[in-house]
Amino acid sequence: MSAAAPVPAGAAGRTYRPGRTAILIGATIMAAVLAAAVLAPVLAPHDPYAQSIATRFRPPSAEHWLGTDGFGRDTFSRILYGLRVTLLTAFASTSLALVAGTALGIMSGYYGGTLDRWISAANDLLMSFPQMVAGIIMVALLGPGVTNLILAIAITAFPAFYRMARSAALALRGRDYIDACRVLGYSDGRIMLRHILPETMDDMIVVGTLWLATAVRTESSLAFIGLGAPPPAATLGGLVREGFDNLLEYPGLAIWPSLMILLIMIGLNLIGDGLRDSNDPRASA
Amino acid sequence: MSVLHIDDLRTSLTLNGRQHHAVREVNFRIEEGETVAVVGESGCGKSMLAMSIMGLLPSIAVVTDGHVVLEGKPIERESERQMEAIRGARIGMIFQEPMTALNPVLTVGEQIAEPLRDHLGLSRSEARRRAIALMERVRIPSAASRYDSYPHEFSGGMRQRVVIALAIACGPRLLIADEPTTALDVTVQRQILDLLDMLQDDGRMAMMLITHNLGIVAAHADRVVVMYGGDMVESAPVRALFRNPAHPYSRALLASLPRVDRDLSELASIPGRVPPLTRLPDGCRFIDRCPHAMKICQALPPRVPVADDAEHEVRCWLHVEGSGRDASAG
Amino acid sequence: MLLQVEGLRVTYPVSRGWPVPRTSYLRAVDDVSLNVGAGEALGIVGESGCGKSTVARAILRLARADEGRVVFDGVDVTRLPLRALRKLRPRMQMIFQDPAASLSPRMRIGDALAEAIAVHGITHGGDARRLIKETLSDVGLPPEAAARYPHEFSGGQKQRIGIARALVLSPSLIIADEPVSALDVSVQAQILNLLARLQKERGIAFVFISHDLGVVRHFCDRTAVMYLGQVIEQGDTRPLFDRPAHPYTRLLRTVSPVPDPDIPVPPLAVEGEPPSPLDPPPGCRFHPRCPYAAERCRAEIPALRPTMGHLVACHFAEAIAAQEDA
Repeated sequence: MSAAAPVPAGAAGRTYRPGRTAILIGATIMAAVLAAAVLAPVLAPHDPYAQSIATRFRPPSAEHWLGTDGFGRDTFSRILYGLRVTLLTAFASTSLALVAGTALGIMSGYYGGTLDRWISAANDLLMSFPQMVAGIIMVALLGPGVTNLILAIAITAFPAFYRMARSAALALRGRDYIDACRVLGYSDGRIMLRHILPETMDDMIVVGTLWLATAVRTESSLAFIGLGAPPPAATLGGLVREGFDNLLEYPGLAIWPSLMILLIMIGLNLIGDGLRDSNDPRASA
Repeated sequence: MSVLHIDDLRTSLTLNGRQHHAVREVNFRIEEGETVAVVGESGCGKSMLAMSIMGLLPSIAVVTDGHVVLEGKPIERESERQMEAIRGARIGMIFQEPMTALNPVLTVGEQIAEPLRDHLGLSRSEARRRAIALMERVRIPSAASRYDSYPHEFSGGMRQRVVIALAIACGPRLLIADEPTTALDVTVQRQILDLLDMLQDDGRMAMMLITHNLGIVAAHADRVVVMYGGDMVESAPVRALFRNPAHPYSRALLASLPRVDRDLSELASIPGRVPPLTRLPDGCRFIDRCPHAMKICQALPPRVPVADDAEHEVRCWLHVEGSGRDASAG
Repeated sequence: MLLQVEGLRVTYPVSRGWPVPRTSYLRAVDDVSLNVGAGEALGIVGESGCGKSTVARAILRLARADEGRVVFDGVDVTRLPLRALRKLRPRMQMIFQDPAASLSPRMRIGDALAEAIAVHGITHGGDARRLIKETLSDVGLPPEAAARYPHEFSGGQKQRIGIARALVLSPSLIIADEPVSALDVSVQAQILNLLARLQKERGIAFVFISHDLGVVRHFCDRTAVMYLGQVIEQGDTRPLFDRPAHPYTRLLRTVSPVPDPDIPVPPLAVEGEPPSPLDPPPGCRFHPRCPYAAERCRAEIPALRPTMGHLVACHFAEAIAAQEDA
């Protein structure tokens, strides 16, 4: 009642959006990386799987831009194709985790009670393992293969989305407008889908972007310890692993795919952090 | 000499490079032992006025004209350090939400003792004794044993008593109470208001009571300043305002109150809403909602006495000789 | 009777203590009975924590009733299957205290109203748009409001939107929980007048919850006074406020500010604040603060009984009245 004279939003003159530059740089990087992955069949100068004893361990040249590996396969082409599998795995697993985590999280937070207790307990169990360990166990249980790899990474990423969505739904459940929806006779499904989900989406997308980067890292780490996609399929992590055998003589074989992983991580983190900053009203004060 | 004299005060806010007058030519005095109520709805500038007096304006706001005279000395241009000393010792403050004025990790006793040591230079044990006496004065039961309690262990009403003890610790000449009971239940509200009345009588303190509740004004104030859109539209002794409100806004406000003691057929309501700060009219700020608006109202009305009562002033063209209804024809 | 509340009890589990919290049960509403006739306005007054909002929530089944019945138009709402409850919802609507918080922030006003209309299949297409337009204009909003978002409106306008959203469902009962206490005085009068007009023109019954006795006197035909989860006095509003019988109602009446400096302010006979509803005092719950409390009040809970023209839960109502009049 005693509020001061109303001050319109954006009172401090020009509105400064802290995340914009970061998002722009990150998006440019990711656009380039995505384009490279999609256009790999066009861009790759060689067949990534074609072996040739004659061209083993060639240094970078006009013919092989980044040299060749121990089977004489073109490293540049293998990185492009590896990028495809890595990104596909990361996107698929993160999307799976996002959809499942959001759905179960919102249900848990909205309904509460027994349902919430059981899902939360299962989630806590999952979280009690370090993420890598959980990944290793999952791959070991599910067996090799790209599909199982995606599933394994999705399961390790699930808790992040679940917890976020659950706490958001829990906070919203107490708000008057959710009570208003119930009084208006809306079904629980409609309330969750139309009135809670849209409120949580901003946060979920930020977390999703950041977890995409983590998924790339998890894939690489699993591949590095030999739990990745089975050969001859190239993934970035798999390439690093292969290159590691000859690290001292031919360091480029491990370094080039590592740099590609680094580039993806930087790009995704710039986007994620930028989105978070521009969503967070406290950050723009 | 008045304890407080607000002398044609103007406070401006700068938004998007444009200046807006949040407080415009406000003018009133508070004498020793007197309670002046400042009433108005949200956005009327009453909180901005209080912040101007206390030197607590946000960085985008500044006093552009006029004076805040405390016991004969203008203080509106004092340095931050001097204002701190004035706020601690000569002006006491009470806010709507007592929890925001208290530090949750310090005991209430320590918080009351702190200004005593800072401003009056008392020793630790002496400050403690005085703090307990203050807690007794604001009627906190078993004060000595509650000295070491934390704010969260107190009820809302008891917290507000602690804030009052803090405000009067150094014997201020002026007490500014900004909606002191709005967050409290009615039975507790009455206890707090009675306490303020009692403290004021004891100390001959001057009090500026900021409120939106005209019932509280009627029972606890000596004089009333009605604010609208940053303007002081009317200033009057409390009985004169309720018996003979002069400004169309004051009249409408009084007629819009439901009453617990009698039946009213329909409440008079004021159409429209308080204009936001960025769209305040240049002249009379009530012009868009006023049933008597005239052409001349586009200019700032002067302050004129009502019915030759020097104590009763209104800022309205209706009360200016020769510019009344005849002018509306033109 | 449109609405009958019988012996309603609502308890909340509360965890207290550190480091090992213990669960105790808070009786927010303890054996409350009320009724509301068609087109009638019933006020519920009391201070924070008295359970008045919980009564409202239990009537709408936003809070679970542990005991008792809430009979709306012959149907016990507390035991209704969810599907049947949703069918019944349009007939009992609610208006909230904080109009900003009661609207979905990302939904245009028109869409929010259209959703309510569509869910209950009230009408379609052009008719639905016409209904939205008419309802908005009925609550004093321009038709353009439909295309805007809640944050673009002032507090009073948001409350009008909340009222419009209830009205499109043609309710016969509206529960209004402190509908004007967040609003400025001049806007409060606008909303009260609007509600009064709706009550008269559409014959809507109201359960009107407020801490402001003046507002309740203006709007309500009958009033129930609550203290620590119980109704302690109930009756026609005018005689209840002019001649309150229960000492707590007397107290409320004494401390309610009257905007008239010529009316003397009676001295305050009661000190202290309401005790915590977690451990209510035995006997009459008001006895620790009551200036008339006797031994019987400490031991025996007074029943709500008819006396002096209304229902009063006080052992000594008549004696106190005689003493006060003398």
